[in-house]
Amino acid sequence: MKEVMLDCLGEACPIPLVKAENKLKELEIGDMLIVQIDHSCAMKNVPEWARKEGYNVEVEEVDDGEWEVIIEKTK
Amino acid sequence: MEKKNGKFFDRMKSNEYYIKWLKNPFTYIVAAVLLSLFQIVTLAVSKNPWGVSGVFAVWGAWIYEAVGGSVDKWYYFASSGAQATLEGGLLNHADSWRNLGIIFGALAATLLASGFKIKKIKSKKQVIAAALGGLLMGYGARIAFGCNIGALYSGIASLSLSGWVFAIGMFAGAVVGSKLLVKYFM
Repeated sequence: MKEVMLDCLGEACPIPLVKAENKLKELEIGDMLIVQIDHSCAMKNVPEWARKEGYNVEVEEVDDGEWEVIIEKTK
Repeated sequence: MEKKNGKFFDRMKSNEYYIKWLKNPFTYIVAAVLLSLFQIVTLAVSKNPWGVSGVFAVWGAWIYEAVGGSVDKWYYFASSGAQATLEGGLLNHADSWRNLGIIFGALAATLLASGFKIKKIKSKKQVIAAALGGLLMGYGARIAFGCNIGALYSGIASLSLSGWVFAIGMFAGAVVGSKLLVKYFM
């Protein structure tokens, strides 16, 4: 069980999504991936993709226009 | 009373209507319906279908003229309609106001959702890609006589075959573009 930070600040769509997809593939079941984003459309498509895959997802607003999408690799 | 006012914005943050209407983005379906309605209004009011990128060519021409240049001989601005637009100025150019509305509307939306942030430039690669991408899109949109709004969206909406031809070209371009993006930006 580890937590991995993925810095996608300053990246526009669809880069955060592709980066998150690639990163999650490297992780073990039970690991957490925290994607840092500041692009509001990534705040929509990253959680949407992760939920569709069946992972547990939480979005936290850490600052104005800055979010952390926390994805638990459940399977 | 004083105390209550001080907490107004804190209370607003958790208000369900604030969250629903201003904080959370609209769903794609809501946005699509609104876009469709407003493009009909645009066509009905201005007698022209909705377009976005053509305006930038006009702005460019105005800037060029302001520093002493002349576009009178340019093929793109040769038609009497284009000349009339250039002569009419910003105040009479509905398309310019619509674009300004998009820019300031986007700013207002992000401020209302308290999501405004000046983003850092991450790498030189980003700057080059943005500049190159902008140039290609701008140039491509002009030689195609429209962008994904004027040529594609408005084209298809007015039952023109050209809109569908544009869609095929754009789809192929998007496939190539995505491959390049993944190759050079991941």
